[in-house]
Amino acid sequence: MASPEAHHLFHNPIADHSFSSDKTTLAVARDNNVELYQRSGSKFSLTDELKGHEKTVTGVDIAPDSGRIVTCSQDRNAYVWEQTPSGWKPTLVLLRINRAATFVRWSPSEQKFAVGSGARVIAVCYFEEENDWWISKHLKKPIRSTITTLAWHPNSVLLAAGSTDSHARVFSSFIKGVDTRPEPSAWGERLPFNTICGEYLNDSAGWVHGVSFSPSGNALAFTGHDSSVTVVYPSAPEQPPRAMLNITTRLLPFNSLIWNGENEIIAAGHDCEPYRLHGDESGWQLTGTIEDKAGPGAGNAREESALHMFRQMDLKGQTQADTQLQTTHQNTISTVRVFESTDGTVRKFSTSGVDGRVVIWSF
Amino acid sequence: MSQLNYRTINIDVLDPDSSINFPLDSLLPSTLPSATNASEAASAATQIRQLLRGGDPEGALRAVLDSAPLGGDDRAKEVHLATVIEVLQGIRQGEMSRVLEGVCAGEGGSERADCLMKYLYKGMASPAPSSGSKSVSPQSTGGFSQIQGRNLGEGGGGQQMSVLLNWHEKLVEVTGTGSIVRVMTDRRTV
Repeated sequence: MASPEAHHLFHNPIADHSFSSDKTTLAVARDNNVELYQRSGSKFSLTDELKGHEKTVTGVDIAPDSGRIVTCSQDRNAYVWEQTPSGWKPTLVLLRINRAATFVRWSPSEQKFAVGSGARVIAVCYFEEENDWWISKHLKKPIRSTITTLAWHPNSVLLAAGSTDSHARVFSSFIKGVDTRPEPSAWGERLPFNTICGEYLNDSAGWVHGVSFSPSGNALAFTGHDSSVTVVYPSAPEQPPRAMLNITTRLLPFNSLIWNGENEIIAAGHDCEPYRLHGDESGWQLTGTIEDKAGPGAGNAREESALHMFRQMDLKGQTQADTQLQTTHQNTISTVRVFESTDGTVRKFSTSGVDGRVVIWSF
Repeated sequence: MSQLNYRTINIDVLDPDSSINFPLDSLLPSTLPSATNASEAASAATQIRQLLRGGDPEGALRAVLDSAPLGGDDRAKEVHLATVIEVLQGIRQGEMSRVLEGVCAGEGGSERADCLMKYLYKGMASPAPSSGSKSVSPQSTGGFSQIQGRNLGEGGGGQQMSVLLNWHEKLVEVTGTGSIVRVMTDRRTV
């Protein structure tokens, strides 16, 4: 595989990142603002800042077709930003939550977005034409703790959520007048708002960090703080799942995951590099790292002359600087996103992390 | 009632939404084994001791980890912890790697490895059984002598700790850091 394209933007953690559909604009959540970068040649340069939030921004998502940007923050607000000739214009969304907003994603239809929060609710937001603002409906019922992550089903009705109560859940977020009635699937047939289509808990019960539907929407994967990935294949509405496979790893926990086709998952987290899992309904296993460490690692290890060795011993008291990781990311990866895909097969994906880097990986 | 000092009321207890009222048993999976008590743990211990005496350390460790009272009461867990430590101490250092590889392989191997890691941490957290009678007060000794006092003066405690640390090192080689992380998240305590 080709070597990854790394962009070291700044020395702050990146909570979330998102690319526009033409891949020339990159939105990055940095502290209280969202920074917009434009691609110029092989680099990204800062062009604009979305200022408005008063506390740390926790999520950012660019809608691929409309180009609208939604952001959410610990100040309990979410804004929808639209580009006007005079710059980006924010619209406040009435979330009605009394704790931080933690995560935001547009639905594939771009008619709605969902905001996770520490108030133990998910705010499903949609635009109301007659009042000309974004309003929200709350998914509330069995959630016992903070929502950490969300993922949309391709039909824009089902929504998967991971929470610090260690459960991954699948809800219906059907809103009359906004959504069209979805095709019945293994998750459910009639899906009024706040139907619980599935509730899953690992044996070792870690906080859930990442959830993702497979491209077909017929399987759900989630990863948690117990260093494992769980894949769920639902059987029929109101029935226990056909298969629920738990893959425990010997690594540090993963923070985020995406599907590559129906038989591969890419996950990354506290080990600072992406890993690949492979399998199907009969079993899954970790197949290894995606990063080809011979490349960048070998580049870092310079030829060691005796002079260099003694100079290092004199300056630093050690012969080799071991403060650099062998991986492209130099700290925890917090977000993995699909960058380029055809029919659910990922050709490129992007990661961002605590080290202020955004990296584009290609197969 | 007018004398009640409102500042001393622990309001979190009264608030059903407070995090301290989080139902921890909602984190227990449905696959949790049924409840056991101390006498069942003791009878399991007898069988396991027989295996150990019969020269089958691998079988003994396998059996003791498979019979862990995950759903048992505190007393059962205590008895079983003592059995696990007895088995771990009864396996010679030269045999550790071979035994561990055998136990962590095959069906349910990774669960056994995670279970052993839980016992190692529990063993390190709990006071040594012999320390009750002759405890060395940390104030009377200082610096190096305090460390020596723990290792030599307490006898059993220090030795048990070094056995557990040896096992920990070997186990991390087999299962990686993931197993340590799972000790922290797993609510099926041993």
